[in-house]
Amino acid sequence: MKRPSGPGLTGRGKYFRQKENEGLLFISLWLAGFIVFRLFPSVFSLVFSFSDFNLFGGIEKWGFMNYIGIAADKKITASFAVTVKYAAITVPLKLIAALLAALLLNHAVKGIGFFRTVFYIPTVLGSSVAIAILWKALFRDDGLVNQFLVLLGHEKISWLSDTGNALWVISFLRIWQFGSSMVVFLAALKAVPHELYEAAEIDGAGTIRKFFTITVPFLSPVIFYNMVTQTGLAFQEFNAPFVITQGGPRGSTTLISLLIYNIAFQEKNMGMACALTWVFFIVVSMIGALMFISQKYWVYYDGTPREEK
Amino acid sequence: MFFEKMKVKKIILAAVTFIMIGVFSSCSEEKDNRKKITISWWGGESRHEATINAIKAFEEKNPDIKADVVFGAWDGWENSMTAAFYAGTHSDINQINTNWISEYGSEKELFLDLNSVSEHFDLSNYDKSSLEQCTLNGKLQAVPVSVTGRVFYWNKTTFEKAGLEIPSSLSELYNAGTVFRETLGDGYYPLVLGEYDRMVLMVYYLCSVYGEPWISDGKLNYTTAQIEEGMEFINSLEDGHVIPTIAEILGDGAVTFDKSPELISGKYAGIFEWDSASAKYARALEDGQELVAGDYFEDIGKYKGGFSKISVAFAISENTKYPEECARLLDFILNDPEGAVIMGTERGIPLSASARKACEGAGLLGGIEAMANSKVLEWSMFSLDVNFENPRLKVNPEGVYYDVFSGLSYGDYTTEEAAEMISDGFSDVLT
Repeated sequence: MKRPSGPGLTGRGKYFRQKENEGLLFISLWLAGFIVFRLFPSVFSLVFSFSDFNLFGGIEKWGFMNYIGIAADKKITASFAVTVKYAAITVPLKLIAALLAALLLNHAVKGIGFFRTVFYIPTVLGSSVAIAILWKALFRDDGLVNQFLVLLGHEKISWLSDTGNALWVISFLRIWQFGSSMVVFLAALKAVPHELYEAAEIDGAGTIRKFFTITVPFLSPVIFYNMVTQTGLAFQEFNAPFVITQGGPRGSTTLISLLIYNIAFQEKNMGMACALTWVFFIVVSMIGALMFISQKYWVYYDGTPREEK
Repeated sequence: MFFEKMKVKKIILAAVTFIMIGVFSSCSEEKDNRKKITISWWGGESRHEATINAIKAFEEKNPDIKADVVFGAWDGWENSMTAAFYAGTHSDINQINTNWISEYGSEKELFLDLNSVSEHFDLSNYDKSSLEQCTLNGKLQAVPVSVTGRVFYWNKTTFEKAGLEIPSSLSELYNAGTVFRETLGDGYYPLVLGEYDRMVLMVYYLCSVYGEPWISDGKLNYTTAQIEEGMEFINSLEDGHVIPTIAEILGDGAVTFDKSPELISGKYAGIFEWDSASAKYARALEDGQELVAGDYFEDIGKYKGGFSKISVAFAISENTKYPEECARLLDFILNDPEGAVIMGTERGIPLSASARKACEGAGLLGGIEAMANSKVLEWSMFSLDVNFENPRLKVNPEGVYYDVFSGLSYGDYTTEEAAEMISDGFSDVLT
């Protein structure tokens, strides 16, 4: 939209112009931060991705060698696979846990505020290193989880050292932190018209039928929102594997962000780390795009899927 | 009119804010006009405590200097230092490994030439050869603290519980594996070795058998077949219940062995560690348990396969604003009798002649560290080449050692594959 300007500017126009400038002033700090800490590094990383930039050796050559090397490096392809597996485990289970908790907390029970707070606490604690350390202690061979399993008559499980189990330990941590998704679900549940349930009951629908034909369609925009945000978070996961497993055992928890860190700061191969970051960015963007395309078929806005509107 | 007023208010508010910031910052500067320097190191609790106390003593004697400390465990330390060195945010004084001098200091001017501050740091306390190991491009880039080597430490209490003497030969060690399992249970092992420890022990084994240094004149002296023999030796330790598998170690969830509940409780009854690290293990054990330094095994081969290296060194940053003050602090903690006694043997037996004399006078050289160090110096035929600790080989988890020895333990690699990977790793580093 063209800005109003010139001598013909009315008092109202001036007001909006002034407001616009104030708005720019207010976001200027954020904008400066974004440019310095996000935009510039992103542009530089794109440039460096075409180089053999070593942190202490400088740059000797330019080209596509990093991008060619990515496809051929088994360690990188394995890490991509682990990351996709992690997201595929964590995101659905986290959303299911959040939805179930929201359904439970949607009832008018005495002290419900307390329970809502309790369910949200793990999310507040979640990203801290201390919790990751605690988590590691819980899943040690003689940790609390195994002690509990033994009490139940089950054998101990090698959570941290078995290549098939370690990824689950990290997933469990993030699933446990379902609070933010739960709050969004809870708000959406409040918005489902109660008359629909009453009408469905009159028609003889049971609880499960009501859930899948009324609740889920009404929640679908929120499910979509949670799915997109949680998938983004899952693909960025770094803290938990870094603290709990350091990517082990045998690379079974080396998520791509951890691998990028290792390549950059252990191997000091910043060129490759930058290239990997951009490839990863493109892959995640494509997954996000697929999600947005898929919403036409299953997300209901105002009661109808987007493509039918 | 209204907006004009708002604008004036905003300008006044911004001006007041800037004035307040200015006033407060100038106030804080006035309160503390000491010269601020920073010092960083890694280590265990006992090393942290000793170093902090020494720095406090220095500050009391030098009220014009304030030294801020940055310290932590070894795990992840090199990664953070890599980033700091690159960004130029490293401390004024840094504890370093000697291989960092060539690794980080060859391309960038990271460390100050200590000859330039020799008026404030007494270099005459050090022998020429040890200073040469810290010299690159004609610059003395760091001052060595001590010479160290790997030595066996045994939990005497656990061995007594098993009805055994501490092992003095490889055959006794194998026997201990069997006895531990039969008398104490599956969870007890006479020795525990992480991935890097396995590499070090394997080299000790091969050097004892073949009598050649691992690397000399920039060349790996062992063939793939010989390295494979070393891999089989490591496998035999696992098979004989002498050491736990890497999976069992990971299951403990400990970052380092001094934090491992199994080692603390005595279930892991031995380690093969740097003599300079003995204090943290001795302190880590539960009350009533005794850690003793063991002998090298003479039945491995006909050579004395031990090796030594400079344990750690201290370097002053090229960027420091206060090189003289940094040198004075280093001189106090490494050379001054008072500082040296407070530092004790937390980084091994001091190389500094005056510090060693002071520690001896204070009765600090009669402990486990001194005993272990004397064993190392007596037994070590070889010096450890700096390339042995090249980050591409050593770092966890991306280094070759970690991949090879965890892969061998998990059964992902055969001994032949593992030997080839080690050989290739060194070819890559040495070319």
